[in-house]
Amino acid sequence: MIEFRGVSKTYPGTERPVVNDLSFEVPEGEVCVLVGPSGCGKTTSMRMVNRLIEPSQGEVLIDGEPNTAMSGTQLRRKIGYAIQQIGLFPHRTIADNVAIVPSLLEWDRDRIKERVDGLLDLVGLSPDDYRDRYPAELSGGQQQRVGVARAMAADPPIMLMDEPFGAVDPITRERLQDEFVKIQDDIKKTIVFVTHDIDEAIKMGDKIAILRQGGFLEQYDSPENILANPASEFVESFVGADRVLKRLSLMRVGDMNLEPVNGEGSGLPAISGDLTVRDALSEMMGSGTERAVVERDGERRLITMSAIEELSQDRERPRE
Amino acid sequence: MEAIFEVTQRPNFPELLQTHIVLSVVSLLIAIAIAIPVSLAVRNTPLGSAIAINIGNVGRAVPSIAILALALPVLGFGFAPSLLALTLLAIPPILINAATGLKEVSREVVDAARGMGLSEAQILSRIQLPIAMPVIFAGIRTSAVQVVAAATLATFIGGGGLGELIVEGLQRSDTPVLLAGSFTIALLAIATELIFGGLERAFTPKGLRLARKKK
Amino acid sequence: MSRINLLQTYGPLIEWDWISENFVEDILPALQGHIFLSAVSVAIALAISLPLGILAARYRTAYAPVTFVTGLLYTIPSLAMFGILITVPGIGIGPRAVIVALVAYSLLVLIRNVVAGLDAVPPETIDAAKGMGLTPAQILFGVELPLALPVIVAGIRIATVTIIGIATIGAYISGGGLGKMIFDGINRGFPTMIITGAVLATALAIVADVSLLAVERRLRPWARTRRA
Ligand SMILES: Nc1ncnc2c1ncn2[C@@H]1O[C@H](COP(=O)(O)OP(=O)(O)OP(=O)(O)O)[C@@H](O)[C@H]1O
Ligand SMILES: [Mg+2]
Repeated sequence: MIEFRGVSKTYPGTERPVVNDLSFEVPEGEVCVLVGPSGCGKTTSMRMVNRLIEPSQGEVLIDGEPNTAMSGTQLRRKIGYAIQQIGLFPHRTIADNVAIVPSLLEWDRDRIKERVDGLLDLVGLSPDDYRDRYPAELSGGQQQRVGVARAMAADPPIMLMDEPFGAVDPITRERLQDEFVKIQDDIKKTIVFVTHDIDEAIKMGDKIAILRQGGFLEQYDSPENILANPASEFVESFVGADRVLKRLSLMRVGDMNLEPVNGEGSGLPAISGDLTVRDALSEMMGSGTERAVVERDGERRLITMSAIEELSQDRERPRE
Repeated sequence: MEAIFEVTQRPNFPELLQTHIVLSVVSLLIAIAIAIPVSLAVRNTPLGSAIAINIGNVGRAVPSIAILALALPVLGFGFAPSLLALTLLAIPPILINAATGLKEVSREVVDAARGMGLSEAQILSRIQLPIAMPVIFAGIRTSAVQVVAAATLATFIGGGGLGELIVEGLQRSDTPVLLAGSFTIALLAIATELIFGGLERAFTPKGLRLARKKK
Repeated sequence: MSRINLLQTYGPLIEWDWISENFVEDILPALQGHIFLSAVSVAIALAISLPLGILAARYRTAYAPVTFVTGLLYTIPSLAMFGILITVPGIGIGPRAVIVALVAYSLLVLIRNVVAGLDAVPPETIDAAKGMGLTPAQILFGVELPLALPVIVAGIRIATVTIIGIATIGAYISGGGLGKMIFDGINRGFPTMIITGAVLATALAIVADVSLLAVERRLRPWARTRRA
């Protein structure tokens, strides 16, 4: 668990803080996405977790202990960190780059090799092709994936990832995101993830912290709640005018509370229960139907346009 | 040609050659022992690097004969003053290159290393030094060639070395002696250049060579 | 040898009286001579390096041998170079040998920078010039050389500083210049002359370095905007 407790940061030589009285908790095994416009203090906040930056005020606790309880170097070996600018070591091969922390921790050779190959596979770089290359022989996006693998190498319980998919093309990015979500379901690490892309935040985060220029925390909540109830105009405009649709993409039709079909279902188009509500909506609109049948686990249920509409409104309350 | 070769058979030739090499090697080693620790000490402070580099630049602008000549009124004639002057001459190129090389290890790379929990000593030995090594060696090479050349001038303040042959050749209008001295010194300098060029290449990690080619 | 002894042998490090008495008659001419030697050498070296550099940039196979030979010249210690040159018929002892040596030392840096400067001219620019119907000569003098100028000036700067230093040693083979004061100072055991010569030679090198750096900056548009 990571807890920010009244954390502020003012850089020496500047007047205004760039992170302002930040307080929130990232529960064990959850992904917290820090999102906000460029320069709003995301990187600064993240770097106070592993003490690459010391807060001017407040403290960061890890599993209930202030992170100042151990030395910076010891702390950092337990926290994986993929930096925004990648920063691969140009004089080391890809394998050696990934193996840095395990070798600092004196793992044995075979274990390191196995781990390196496994991680390269995981980030979609075939070990046989890439193991012995040097960073200069990789594209920016490939380097970034090596950076992610390097951060995961020693299997740290906590990971900090600063725009880890910033340099990859949209298709690869989506694949990596899906992969990430799937792996995280298994390994359940506590992750702080920085991005300025709200869609990425919605997809990856268990919790999203939306920051505004000057390091103010505008809202800290689950993606659904943020989309359903934006806490301020800033959040509302940041998440975008299509937030209703975004919310629908967080739900699957199979999980909707629908009535079983009573004989009347014949002749209606069928929809798989695995689709997101947004995709189902799109299909229904595309085929010009008001009603369709959802099939899941052998059961047939009726989905209607009005059910979807209701869903998209049920938690909308006017802000005061 | 034969007359020139005969000069190298004179009994005092090995001694002159030896003095020349000893002067060069010892002053180079002392210069390394001074310039490298200073560069390491200032590596993480931009102001310190800038001061070190500028001292080096001004030092390079002082003509070598001036430094040797200045040793004379302060320290007198002989081997030791020559050694000191040559050491002063050898420092600037190493200082400039080592300080620049260490400073220019990109900040992200050092940051990533720190973020992964490398200690400052590990960052130095595993990241900064290997990456700066080619630049440091280039400085040592420049310095070595320069010192071999300047050791020729040591003869003017009684430091010995192969320069004595040139002085003798000129004073007595003895062309074979003059040329024997000149050619030996030239060969010595070229050999130094080649040896240190080889070392520089040997100490350039493959990944850095690739990165440089890409640029 | 103790310090006291030395000071007795050599007297005080600087006698200001000597400097003021000999300023016009000895010091100024030595400085002028030094500037002359260096300037002539750089000018000749440039006249050789420009065409050679342009050729080496056009015909790549020539580049390696040209830099190898000039690199060898550059490595030869100056006193040895002088020793060899004065035995060459037609050169002999005196300023001529010094100038030949100084030219030889400048070639490597100058040629390298001419080639690097020409290399850095964007191919699109040359294409555009061709497209507008310029002749090869017009492209070279009107487009390529002006664009390569900052890099060439950077080379001139390095060569000049190097040459000013080496020229002092030329005094030993009667080349004149500030080196003569240094050698005379050694022979007479007169530190004032050594120091005056050394300080002036150093100052000359630094002044040349800084002024040529200013020229170089002016020629680089991006440096100008940064200053603004
Ligand atoms: N070392 C520093 N000294 C002074 N100011 C700094 C320093 N580092 C960052 N800042 C300033 O602090 C603010 C927050 O920077 P930070 O890097 O945390 O932003 P960010 O949210 O990560 O932005 P981006 O999305 O562009 O990476 C910026 O205005 C930046 O200019
Ligand atoms: Mg950032």
